[in-house]
Amino acid sequence: MKPPPFDYLAADCVEAAVQALAGAGGDGKLIAGGQSLMPMLNFRLLRPSILIDINRIPDLAYIRDDGNEICIGPLARHRMLETSDVIARQFPVLHEAMGYVAHLAIRNRGTIGGSLSHADPAAELPMMSLLLDACLVVQSLSGRRTITARDFFLGALTTALEEGDMLVEVRLPKLPKGTGWAFEEVARRSGDFALASVAVIIGSDGDRISDLRIGMMGIGETPMRALDAERILTGQRYSEATVTAAVEAIRAAVEPNTDLHASAEYRRHLVGVLAQQALARAWARLREATQ
Amino acid sequence: MTEALPKSATASREAEELATRPKIVGASVKRTEDPRLLTGKGAYVDDRKVPGMLHVAFRRSDHSHALIKAIDCGAARDADGVVAVFTAEDMREVNAVFATSRMKNYYATPITGLAIGKVRYVGEPVVGVIAQSRYLAEDALELVDITYEPLPVVIDPEEAAKPSSALLHEEANTNVLCSREFKTGDAEAAIASAAVRVSGRFRFHRKTPTAMENRTYLAEYEPGRDELTLYTSSQVPGIIRDALSDAFDMPGSQLRVVAPDVGGGFGGKASLYPEEIFVAFAARRLGRAVKWTSDRMEDLAATSQGFDQIVNAELALDAEGNAIALRAEVIGDVGAYSIYPWTAVIEPVQVVSFLPGPYKIANYLGRVRGIATSKPPTGPYRGVGRPTSTFVTERLMDMAAQRLGMDPITLRLRNMIQPDEFPHRIGSGIIWDQCAFTECLNAACGKADYQELRARQAEARAAGRWFGIGVACYAELTGIGSRISVAPGMPINTGTETAKIAIDSTGAVTAAFGVTAMGQGLETTLAQVVAEHLGGRVEDIRVIQGDSAAVPNATGSYASRSAVLAGGAATLAAQEVKEKIIRAASHLLEAASEDLVVEDGKVSVVGTDRTLTFRQLARAVYLEMGRIPADKREELTSTKTYDPVFGTSATAAHLAVVEINPDTYEIKLERFVVAEDCGRLINPMIVDGQVHGGVAQGIGAALYEEVVYNDEGQNVTASLVDYVIPTATEVPLIDVVHIEAESVTTLNGFRGMGEGGTIGAPAAVANAVADAVAPLGIDILELPISPERLFRLIESSKNHKDSSHGHET
Ligand SMILES: Cc1cc2nc3c(=O)[nH]c(=O)nc-3n(C[C@H](O)[C@H](O)[C@H](O)COP(=O)(O)OP(=O)(O)OC[C@H]3O[C@@H](n4cnc5c(N)ncnc54)[C@H](O)[C@@H]3O)c2cc1C
Repeated sequence: MKPPPFDYLAADCVEAAVQALAGAGGDGKLIAGGQSLMPMLNFRLLRPSILIDINRIPDLAYIRDDGNEICIGPLARHRMLETSDVIARQFPVLHEAMGYVAHLAIRNRGTIGGSLSHADPAAELPMMSLLLDACLVVQSLSGRRTITARDFFLGALTTALEEGDMLVEVRLPKLPKGTGWAFEEVARRSGDFALASVAVIIGSDGDRISDLRIGMMGIGETPMRALDAERILTGQRYSEATVTAAVEAIRAAVEPNTDLHASAEYRRHLVGVLAQQALARAWARLREATQ
Repeated sequence: MTEALPKSATASREAEELATRPKIVGASVKRTEDPRLLTGKGAYVDDRKVPGMLHVAFRRSDHSHALIKAIDCGAARDADGVVAVFTAEDMREVNAVFATSRMKNYYATPITGLAIGKVRYVGEPVVGVIAQSRYLAEDALELVDITYEPLPVVIDPEEAAKPSSALLHEEANTNVLCSREFKTGDAEAAIASAAVRVSGRFRFHRKTPTAMENRTYLAEYEPGRDELTLYTSSQVPGIIRDALSDAFDMPGSQLRVVAPDVGGGFGGKASLYPEEIFVAFAARRLGRAVKWTSDRMEDLAATSQGFDQIVNAELALDAEGNAIALRAEVIGDVGAYSIYPWTAVIEPVQVVSFLPGPYKIANYLGRVRGIATSKPPTGPYRGVGRPTSTFVTERLMDMAAQRLGMDPITLRLRNMIQPDEFPHRIGSGIIWDQCAFTECLNAACGKADYQELRARQAEARAAGRWFGIGVACYAELTGIGSRISVAPGMPINTGTETAKIAIDSTGAVTAAFGVTAMGQGLETTLAQVVAEHLGGRVEDIRVIQGDSAAVPNATGSYASRSAVLAGGAATLAAQEVKEKIIRAASHLLEAASEDLVVEDGKVSVVGTDRTLTFRQLARAVYLEMGRIPADKREELTSTKTYDPVFGTSATAAHLAVVEINPDTYEIKLERFVVAEDCGRLINPMIVDGQVHGGVAQGIGAALYEEVVYNDEGQNVTASLVDYVIPTATEVPLIDVVHIEAESVTTLNGFRGMGEGGTIGAPAAVANAVADAVAPLGIDILELPISPERLFRLIESSKNHKDSSHGHET
């Protein structure tokens, strides 16, 4: 379990990193927290010719309130998000989800940029970026562009990032005050990747459901929104019958994988249970906040 | 015994005992090794670095079963930093080692450093590359070109047992490496006529020990003397020394095997490994120090694995709930080789041997077969066979209780061997000396408040919650002596241990043993025993262990033996040294021996201030000639070997409380209680720690850990992401009650207790889960029980009841 030989560059600015990435012609890899990349190197699943270390680039680990958006630097560690007051205030659902990301030692190293770029289908941050309608800012030699989270995750460990791209910022549009939320997850052990997880944010228009977003993961190749269920519930009064219909729509829509830890059937069962719990909890929080 | 004494005399004797007791033995002395181990100052094999040291990486088989047609090492030999590349061809002068045994119907497979002609599991070492660094060795590995001719994969033990199966060892003519039968009475007839019968096909899946420190070996060689020292993370340096002596035809005087600090073993470091043979061979061949440090991937691929048994068992009872017969057929999937020295059947044979457990069952029929498959060898794993036997018997007891409508505790107490019925021979031939079966079960139920738990369960069930209570009772043989150790007919003696105690000319006490601590605190407990019997201070006693050069014959630490055997030897040797101290002091202090006390590293004349420290005494004995007449001068040393001849037992009752989420099927352990009897406690804190650790591993076995081989013989749980072990968050608080019924068959009344936690916990957890889901009509027959397995059991029972019913919402 030793990596194959590689060259190493500690980049001192984003420009140098993307320059080196372009220079490697698709054979280079950025390294951030190393929590996903190092195991892959040690298993010799990857053989980059050069590792470009972005950890010493100054000013990439920030969480900033930009008025309408919260902007997060790619080197913000999981632990920084978990303990950030800004995040806890603006996105309590993200704050809660961060506690489920791996173990403390890994959260101390792992970064938001690394997690999104790695795109594990059962990782919390990709699902959160989808739920929170994140915009991902990407930089390459040809400049900067923005990709929405919806267009970013293409498959398991596959993203819209191109060869010379570095993720340089994550922007999360703020949610209206009093938004209801919930995060539910089942994993084998605390800190493990999710077998299934559901997150909900919900608003109301009088006594009717509005601005509903349901995010799911662990049940497919990428994190997903439960669009059918969102449609069924939006504009309705909250009731057991509509929730049951939404849960059935979710179970019908997902096509989970079978792996060592859970079968497709069990995951399908779980995602329904978690959706029901998350909807109930999010609705209750919303009522509490708006009363 | 107490009856002969008047009541007041008994009482005053108890008071006296209490007053004199836990000063040293019996006290929760803080572990003397902890400051070293907990501050990163331990010295493990991998910490040892010697000049010019080379590093090994193994090219391991990626086939489950295949012929090796050709190996091309040319490119690897030319690679950067490579010093040598060896195949089995290069090791021809090394003798194969065999785990021989006098058992009938047993075939011993050869154990060699590298595979010869054929590979029999994925991960078997085929080529060893030796280079200046591990990185360069791994780079060169990729250049080795091996041509294989695949043979049929042998994965299912029941298929493998059939005559039509492909053979792993053609010379054996069968894959059944061993078969045995144990019989008392007529189980078949008793079962046929019984009022109540419960049965099942029980499955305990394969497990791996996962010690925190992976196996690591460093061989150092002195060409001028042809002397080889192997530093090994082993539990059994004595056994390894003797085996290497056979492999290399070298006398023990030129071979030293040292286990320095060892980071966990759990049985996985209690056998001889191909990599040990290879590293020793390579160092001698190259005249250089050679090190191999296993990575976690290799550990999961090639360290001896545990369990993996199928048990078809049936228990018969009369209408009142008295057990009358037990019949069992055990199939052990033992993997590709018969591990040295324990043999392939150590686990499955123990399963049939211990199945009758703590119960009076007049008729027993147990059959066992150990079947070779193309997977890594199984070997001893903490608890050895008894986690499975306890799982089966204790599940059967609960199934019977349910059938009879009896409380499971009442049923057990009725069938247990009662305190006045010892010694008792169970159907497999094992004799329980004196076991605290009923005492432990009652104590565990008392501590957990069993009645209250049942009341809570009734409330929980009424509210639709799944709440379960499970118990498991067992006994094990521990600290076995030479008479029992010969029974399996292995070529080693596990029945004795030696202690060598010396006070040197500075007055320092050194106590050397052949046992090996791998984290269990032996340095402290053995120092406590020595201090107690010598009159020394615990902190002054330097314990040497894990070194084959320390005593002439030793094996190591396994089978819950070290406290009993090394503790016994320590007692005998310390007593003799103390006698010598007294004789010398009697001269020096001009006092009668009866007037001398040895305590806290000093000898004093009672009632006076005349005292000699060990240092003063030692100087007088060794240096200040003339103070003791020459013919009275004795070296302050003693070497003693202790053999408990038969050995003893140890007993416990485990009680688990679980709550299962009826929607997600997550299983949460709420509480765990252990009432255990390990005889006289040497250090209650260490005993608690051993119980906690053992229970944690048992919880792993019950709920999480499973090594999975697919149909191609590939290990699909090849990292700790997929091989799931419990962490602190999955282990509840564990209450431990000590019964402390001193053994009458061992010196000091000690019983062994290193393994017990792992024996009772899987069965207790299985019973608690089964109890929680009992209203659904589900039995738990397979471990580990994961949420996924529970989901499938529940779904299939639902489909059974209502075939039109789909998924629950
Ligand atoms: C035992 C264990 C358990 C874990 N459990 C969880 C869990 O439960 N949930 C979870 O979400 N995660 C989990 N993780 C993963 C962890 O969160 C990782 O930290 C994260 O997935 C990757 O972040 P990183 O900064 O370590 O990235 P790295 O490992 O450094 O990089 C990962 C990939 O992203 C690329 N990359 C990194 N930064 C950028 C960038 N700025 N732009 C473009 N590409 C980039 C790298 O080139 C590489 O391909 C676990 C990890 C471990 C080891």
